[in-house]
Amino acid sequence: MNKSDTLNETGISAPVRRVDAMEKLTGKARYISDYPFEGLLHARLLRSDRPRAKILGIEVPDLPAGYSYVDARDIPAGGRNGIRMITDDWPVFARDEVRFVGETLGLVVGPDREKVLEILSGIRVTYEELEPAFTIEEGLACKGGPIVGDDNLYGTYHLTKGDPEAAFRRAARVVEGTYRTGFQEHLYLEPQGMVGTWEDGKITLYASAQCPFYIRKSVAHTLGIPEPAVRVRQVTTGGAFGGKEHFPDVIATVLSVAVNKIRRPIRLVFERAEDIRFTCKRHPSRVTIRTALDEAGAIIGMDIDTVINAGGYTSSSLIVLQRAILHGIGVYNIPNVHIRGRAVATNTFPSDAFRGFGAPQGLFAIELHMSHLARELGMDPGSFKQKYFIKTGDTTITNTAMKDEIRLNEMFRKVDAMSGYRRKVKAYDDDPLKGIGIAFVNHGCGFTGNGEQEIIKAVAEMERLSDGRAALYVSTVEMGQGLQTVLRKIAARELDCGVDNIVYDNPDTDRVPDSGPTVASRSTMVVGYLVQQCARELKRRWGEGPGTRVRKQYRHPEGLTWDQDTLQGDAYPSYGWGVNVVEVAFDPVTYEVKTTGIWTVYDVGVPMDTRIVTGQAAGGGIQALGYAAMEVCEVVDGRFRQHTLTDYTIPTAMDFPSVACEFVENPYAYGPFGAKGAGELVFDAAAPAYADAVGHLIGRKIHEIPVTPEKIMEVLQDE
Amino acid sequence: MVRAFKPADLTEALRLRKETACVPLAGGTDLMVKYRNWTGLPPAFPGDVLFLSHLKELQTLERRGETLRIGAGVPLADIAAWPETPAVLREAVRGIAAPAIRNVATLAGNVCNASPAGDGICALYALDARLELTSVDGTREVSILAFITGPGRTVLRRDELVTAVLVPRRAANIQVFRKVGTRKANALAKLSFAAVGEVKEGIVDAMALSFGAVGPTVVRSTETEKRMAGKTLAEVTALAPSIVEDYAALIVPIDDQRSTAAYRKTVALNLLKSFLEGLKEKVKGI
Repeated sequence: MNKSDTLNETGISAPVRRVDAMEKLTGKARYISDYPFEGLLHARLLRSDRPRAKILGIEVPDLPAGYSYVDARDIPAGGRNGIRMITDDWPVFARDEVRFVGETLGLVVGPDREKVLEILSGIRVTYEELEPAFTIEEGLACKGGPIVGDDNLYGTYHLTKGDPEAAFRRAARVVEGTYRTGFQEHLYLEPQGMVGTWEDGKITLYASAQCPFYIRKSVAHTLGIPEPAVRVRQVTTGGAFGGKEHFPDVIATVLSVAVNKIRRPIRLVFERAEDIRFTCKRHPSRVTIRTALDEAGAIIGMDIDTVINAGGYTSSSLIVLQRAILHGIGVYNIPNVHIRGRAVATNTFPSDAFRGFGAPQGLFAIELHMSHLARELGMDPGSFKQKYFIKTGDTTITNTAMKDEIRLNEMFRKVDAMSGYRRKVKAYDDDPLKGIGIAFVNHGCGFTGNGEQEIIKAVAEMERLSDGRAALYVSTVEMGQGLQTVLRKIAARELDCGVDNIVYDNPDTDRVPDSGPTVASRSTMVVGYLVQQCARELKRRWGEGPGTRVRKQYRHPEGLTWDQDTLQGDAYPSYGWGVNVVEVAFDPVTYEVKTTGIWTVYDVGVPMDTRIVTGQAAGGGIQALGYAAMEVCEVVDGRFRQHTLTDYTIPTAMDFPSVACEFVENPYAYGPFGAKGAGELVFDAAAPAYADAVGHLIGRKIHEIPVTPEKIMEVLQDE
Repeated sequence: MVRAFKPADLTEALRLRKETACVPLAGGTDLMVKYRNWTGLPPAFPGDVLFLSHLKELQTLERRGETLRIGAGVPLADIAAWPETPAVLREAVRGIAAPAIRNVATLAGNVCNASPAGDGICALYALDARLELTSVDGTREVSILAFITGPGRTVLRRDELVTAVLVPRRAANIQVFRKVGTRKANALAKLSFAAVGEVKEGIVDAMALSFGAVGPTVVRSTETEKRMAGKTLAEVTALAPSIVEDYAALIVPIDDQRSTAAYRKTVALNLLKSFLEGLKEKVKGI
């Protein structure tokens, strides 16, 4: 497939108007709060206000008729007080102990909101307080005694390539740095929300969510009923970013216990401040990297120690940790490496999925460390990093050959032409008011290892409808990223019809097969490929008439191996690749940094719609710059201190310039029309590029984000 | 049950204000946030609410002799657009929140909210603004310095309404406002700095400096300002270290969710120093 065939006006990459654009721009789209339900009841969670305590008693006042208090005693026989995510240690209702502020104790349900609030304020909870641990250091030190096991660790992994011990023994010099990232709030436009009802004899949930089948699995587990006895209907979802991957299970399980008891429609929608205070955030991280250099200053080995703050329960922390360490040496071929990864328990709100899923933390550390090494060795970070780019066939951190065709050199040339990096990085060395930074990243598409094959086993279906259109049946959702448009485009192109001739309703677990969750940069590459196969077969069989239905199941690409116990083999079916350059200017009076340029180049195989992917690059880039520069999220006494839109400051359009974005085409054999994942890749590089730029600007090493003016002042005064 | 009043005119508004323990509401952009409630429920106002923004008597922007009279119901956007508005105030008002908020929020409301981080307030201190307070018994004027007594506290009596913000019209060829916010738009100030002064033939005639969000109320020191009056620009530049020292003693910020005490203090003094050192250039440019 050549460039003119795809990026031109008629190719698959040519932008079309998003199918959901008009309904969202005109306000016609209905979100969960907009749906009317006959006899709707309102609900509010009773939450713990202690970070770590034994629950001595919960005293609920006498309830007026029509009002209910729901707790663990309402879980039916055969059910379990555990939310089935990866494991089920997070209880639906706190057991005898609370592990974080905001842990669910019970649910108050009733017809009048005022009354619900009044009942809630009348409930008396008595605690015996225990000593909490909030930070990674406090967690590792088992402050107050371990929260889990005897070491406070949910899990530890080791990855070893080559012989790092020998490398360190013969090192002429060792360079060490510790890199830290903070919590990040998703701040999807639409807060968490769900309505649970009893419809046609079964629990039915209308959900703002990414993963309808995850919700179904959790609810079935909690109620002790078969999964098909639960129906989950996704409604138009106003953003998610990973925040609606597992957290909706927390709401769905509570709500289902209540619906099972009351058998009326119940709505549970969070207010904004409630959402910021009491939902999962991105895992804070601390990564220490030691690099062994030989006499000539070449890297001969690395030792990396990665810790993520997982909070009060496991959620998906171990999978996040795996991704963090699997991306631990970034886009480089480093000869002898040992990585230790640990997920530590603390008394903060459980951390969970957020765009990038551990990769941003791992990549931040390695990218900044490589920049620091470059400076120590008197080189510019771009040229230094280029020396170590991994090549096709090189050995990965999981001891297999890198199978991707890698275009990093071409991407570096391209971004240099766009940004003037090579010239500016030298010129700004002597300019106290300007800096420029660069970061190279890759992002594994789809589930780790053979997860797509062993865990997800995605299925997609298509059907010829009686009106001549074709229906698409998948469980992956539109959440703002453009999937409704992309999947329709793929099907329409194979069927030689307009995008409007493809029907793709919001998924309903009673009507669609399980094509997996909308996560892990898998929807376009994995589900899109199944859609393409379905469409091809449907086209062949179109003559069979209306009602013809085809079905395709995921098959792992040939020649890939994986051992989940040792994390050895092909860690991902393929990778997206990217480079970001960020340029900054300084106000020495206020220590404020102004970003003056952002240039990005991506290899996402073949973009399925250049406008959509460019939009992802802009959104992901700015979201990452917010993470890097502005979004302070401190924990004080177990509470998030910045919990309003005023104080949790995501960027506005005024804060950063436009993001320039270009692509390098590199078709992937097992993606539709050559596409790979893009949604997370576009988040990964901007934060380390920004920190590198600020470091260049002030002539000091930056080790931690967010790099606020307050921190820059501290670093400068620290001399 | 909370009652909401929509008076026909100012006279009725003043009567209601006297007779009920009502909360005056003009733009409502602070109050609606302060008393927000579960979506679907009315805001949790502690008492009756008195709507004011529709009153014609509060809608005027006028120049009365050497005073600018800004009606208490005039939205910020109109104040920013009024040619008579002093540059320092215009700059401060333009930096408040976002356009939608500026279309309904009022300057009088900004003053009554009495937040030390209020952007409008910092500029009004440097302008020696006064508040026109009206009750059924009459009208009095209070300087902004005397009006605000602490965070969220003012001397407004329970039967009074702020009917206008009064700004003296005076020559000021130095007008500077600088907000250091949590971001570039829709942001609260980590700190702010305003300067209003007149320099004639190289001599400082008058200089007013104020600092927002670095103490319980806006910081202003007429004593230190007097040290600059009558001095040449070169003399003021020479005095800069000692002036900075004066303010260093007065600026006692706190750590909070938006910034640190150390940053606020350092940057407030940096802004002052940079202002004093750049005075010569500023005057040249006039």
